[in-house]
Amino acid sequence: MINVVSLTKDYKTGKEVVPVLKGVDLSIKAGEFVCIMGPSGSGKTTLLHLLGGLDTPTSGSIQINGKELTSQSEKNRTLLRRKEMGFVFQNYQLLPTLTVYENIIFPLHADGKKASPGDVDELLNAVELKGYENRFPHELSGGQQQRVAIARSLIHQPSILLADEPTGNLDRKRSGDILDLLAKFHYEQKQTIVMVTHDMFAAGYADRIILFKDGVIEAEVKREDEDYARFLARFMA
Amino acid sequence: MSVKHSLLALLYEKPRHGYELKTGFEALVEGLWPLNAGQVYTTLDRLERDSFVESLSHDKKDRKQYTITQAGKEELWFWLNEPVGRSLFKDEFYIKFLCASHVSYDNKKSMIRDQKETILKDILHLTHLRKQMSLSGNDTMKLLIEGALLHLEADMKWLERIEEEL
Ligand SMILES: Nc1ncnc2c1ncn2[C@@H]1O[C@H](COP(=O)(O)OP(=O)(O)OP(=O)(O)O)[C@@H](O)[C@H]1O
Ligand SMILES: [Mg+2]
Repeated sequence: MINVVSLTKDYKTGKEVVPVLKGVDLSIKAGEFVCIMGPSGSGKTTLLHLLGGLDTPTSGSIQINGKELTSQSEKNRTLLRRKEMGFVFQNYQLLPTLTVYENIIFPLHADGKKASPGDVDELLNAVELKGYENRFPHELSGGQQQRVAIARSLIHQPSILLADEPTGNLDRKRSGDILDLLAKFHYEQKQTIVMVTHDMFAAGYADRIILFKDGVIEAEVKREDEDYARFLARFMA
Repeated sequence: MSVKHSLLALLYEKPRHGYELKTGFEALVEGLWPLNAGQVYTTLDRLERDSFVESLSHDKKDRKQYTITQAGKEELWFWLNEPVGRSLFKDEFYIKFLCASHVSYDNKKSMIRDQKETILKDILHLTHLRKQMSLSGNDTMKLLIEGALLHLEADMKWLERIEEEL
């Protein structure tokens, strides 16, 4: 589970201090599928990076499965991240000189662990990339690259998956396939998923939608809420 | 909205009685289109009158069973092969928009805003359904939903376009 209290993040550019997150409180239960929406520049990626320990907050607290992330040493934070979290980045970020197979097992490698061929096979099947394991990223379509990125994010069986616009650059068909894939993993393995998206078509997959604006949570709505759809539609329209 | 042909398709598999046709139909459409028993029986009567189905002897529980005839099968094939056109005014909002312009209705902006809201609601509802169909492995239903979503997306673009012109 994820627990965030009074989280802020300022970026310093030259002498200027730019507040990007201005006090975020957020609690996400284990196994929840949450979606974060909001205008460009509102701080969604920044929040996701802080949750994943890729960057440090200016103030506030982040607890991941009961452990305070902000008080960990850089090294421990990295260990925690590698054990508990999987990342799907806004632009795939596959390693260009590694094959599909090597990209997928990379998180294990970084951790000094061995990949079990069975696990990799299962993931390759799940993302429908069997037979592509020796290709390089530039030999794949956008949708295929994103599927590699998803397999890579899940190889170490993280309890939390952080996905930044996983369907961002894909057409309807391919983005639908990616969402189905996430839904399938979520259904079978009950990871906590935090997905940032601009896409209403993706938002429908989440249990809860958090609406972000200008560095704070402006509103949130759960699927079971009575006026869930109307509320969101109002917000979007 | 061909309940008639859906019933023929269900009977094509095997003979069934009225209640089985009702539940079979509802399973086919994943419960998204409830059918009342009365509708089933009036449709069956018409199908029998047209010789597309025949009633068999009653089953053990004294329910009348129906079976598809050769003419019924031909009717089903004919229907399956018949392309479906789409009239310009099939979408009621089109005719509303036309009437609104005709009476110089000054609330067109809110009319469009509310319509967009309704479409977004439908999109959310259908994407959720798509997820459920994907998890349960109903690929045909998933394709149908994808079709509906593409239409909704197009409607949305069109509304944005006329919003710009107002
Ligand atoms: N390293 C950085 N240094 C300075 N400013 C930054 C840095 N990273 C992000 N920002 C600024 O922080 C703000 C929020 O950025 P962020 O990437 O979190 O937005 P976002 O909500 O993910 O937007 P998008 O939807 O476009 O991806 C932006 O104004 C951005 O310019
Ligand atoms: Mg971003």
